[in-house]
Amino acid sequence: MSDYKFIFSGPVGVGKTTAIGAISDVAPVTTDEQASDMTKAQKSGTTVAMDYGMIKLGDRERIHLYGTPGQERFDFMWEILTQGGIGLILLIGNNRPDPFSDMHFFLKAFKDFIGRSKVVIGVTKMDLTDKPRIEDYHLQLEDCGVKIPIFEVDARMKGDVSLLIEALLYSLDPGLEG
Amino acid sequence: MSKAPLTPVRLAAVGMDQRQRNALRMLFTTQCNNRYVLMEEDSSEICILDLDVFGGERLWEEFRERHPDRPLILVSLKPGEIADAHTLFVQKPIPVNQLIAAIEQQRRLLSTRNKTCSQVESGAPHPIAKNNHQTATPQPGKKNTPRRAASLMSASKEKIFVGTSPDIDPKDPAQLTKVYYKPDHYLQGIIQQALNQAVRYNKNIAIEGPWPAIILDIEKHKIWVSAEERQLRPYCTVPDATLEVPLRIIEVDEASPIGRREFPIQAFLWQLALWASRGRLPHGTDLFQPIYLRRWPNFTRLVMTPYALAIAALWAEQPRSLIGTAETLDIPQRYVFAFYSAAHAIQLAGETRRAVDTLIEPPAVKPSQNRGLFGRLLNRLRGG
Ligand SMILES: Nc1nc2c(ncn2[C@@H]2O[C@H](COP(=O)(O)OP(=O)(O)OP(=O)(O)O)[C@@H](O)[C@H]2O)c(=O)[nH]1
Ligand SMILES: [Mg+2]
Repeated sequence: MSDYKFIFSGPVGVGKTTAIGAISDVAPVTTDEQASDMTKAQKSGTTVAMDYGMIKLGDRERIHLYGTPGQERFDFMWEILTQGGIGLILLIGNNRPDPFSDMHFFLKAFKDFIGRSKVVIGVTKMDLTDKPRIEDYHLQLEDCGVKIPIFEVDARMKGDVSLLIEALLYSLDPGLEG
Repeated sequence: MSKAPLTPVRLAAVGMDQRQRNALRMLFTTQCNNRYVLMEEDSSEICILDLDVFGGERLWEEFRERHPDRPLILVSLKPGEIADAHTLFVQKPIPVNQLIAAIEQQRRLLSTRNKTCSQVESGAPHPIAKNNHQTATPQPGKKNTPRRAASLMSASKEKIFVGTSPDIDPKDPAQLTKVYYKPDHYLQGIIQQALNQAVRYNKNIAIEGPWPAIILDIEKHKIWVSAEERQLRPYCTVPDATLEVPLRIIEVDEASPIGRREFPIQAFLWQLALWASRGRLPHGTDLFQPIYLRRWPNFTRLVMTPYALAIAALWAEQPRSLIGTAETLDIPQRYVFAFYSAAHAIQLAGETRRAVDTLIEPPAVKPSQNRGLFGRLLNRLRGG
């Protein structure tokens, strides 16, 4: 049996648990709890430990999908979590107070992991707030030297989440057949 | 003047800009184990001269006046014929192995010269043939097994967006003319002009003609169309060289969406470009000039043609020519052309203009060790 993993990360309430659920073969294991006072205004359940989902390919390969909890901003656990990871799916909520600083924060937090793998960014909740636009996110990253795929996604849509992962796979290997 | 065998070969880049020099320097340190160093012309043994820089031919003449027999490697995008015993020609973008082969050949020329001068007893002599031919050898024939068709699009949709044109031989002028279309002869060009005007005056624009009414709302970045797609499509697919540009600046309220279909401007233009181009290229696009991708298209909200992700990923890494892209990915040219036309229409892709981008051939794609797994996952995500 071969095991591989992808990491989903991003701020609180941007759709990490939902995105994992959208593509997982098994019912996602989450440890959502009644929201603390801080996040209560935003939604009813927030993930306090970690999300887990899985995609089975035949009976010999498994892709594990891990989601970091949104509440703490950064934890030393995350670096451990990324060991052996294939790539990072970063979700940013367009309706959050400062989505650019969210993006910069997470890119910096996962800098080492991104350095040895690849990252894609999904901007969620653009149906709720249409500004900033996707171009504005690209402009924020103009000086960073690498061209990161940034797509508008709705974490509830399987097709959107799948396309993010497809872009991640092609970033890792543009010669991939398919 | 005998040299220790490990002394690096001293090269100079004549007429090249700082970016090109840096690219060579990087190549020498990372891929040639520092066997070569880049120096000023005066202290160099072998020179590389780019014929494509402004006044390149004259630079070459002047160089030969200064150094009648210094070993020289000429590079250019155009194939060249050089009749001169001290000069080799390598066509750009330079394949790394051909550059090294040329440098080594010139190095041997130098060492035979040195040996003859100092009468050191000969090792195996390397007769230098007259080099009135390119060092470029044809690449070993690529296997022409077509890749599995991407399952993203139905065949009928693919025909509409990518067409069915076979690959062309870019060296055949007759075939070349078939590969181009003029965006201005389609609704695509008109919408592009409307967008330019709208941006310039920061006003909404009505695009009026025989087609269903179209309104461009610059503030919301939307297009409103008062008809179904199928009523619009004929104007997007049939060329009309007499198209006028009936643009009218309008007030905000006129753009109100009652009874109209709404599209993001970029997605609309992208689709119009695919419809018009059907696997062809905007008139005049150079097939050999490397193409840059300014940024990844927002694929979740655009019509995705087969192989678009692979092409985008390749160009996001490094500019590559249209022909080179089709060869590298081993896919029919029309997929590359269609993607380029759409990305170009919304200014995400274009031809590189910097000299450094055509200097060295982009490396082959290294298959990742997980390629098999990635392929299986891809299939699964696409519902296979
Ligand atoms: N309108 C809208 N809702 C979305 C979108 N993506 C996700 N959601 C919803 O946002 C809510 C929060 O999603 P979760 O998946 O719980 O977010 P999370 O990132 O796991 O949150 P934490 O675990 O608290 O960090 C859910 O109700 C989702 O259905 C989107 O693009 N648009
Ligand atoms: Mg969660």
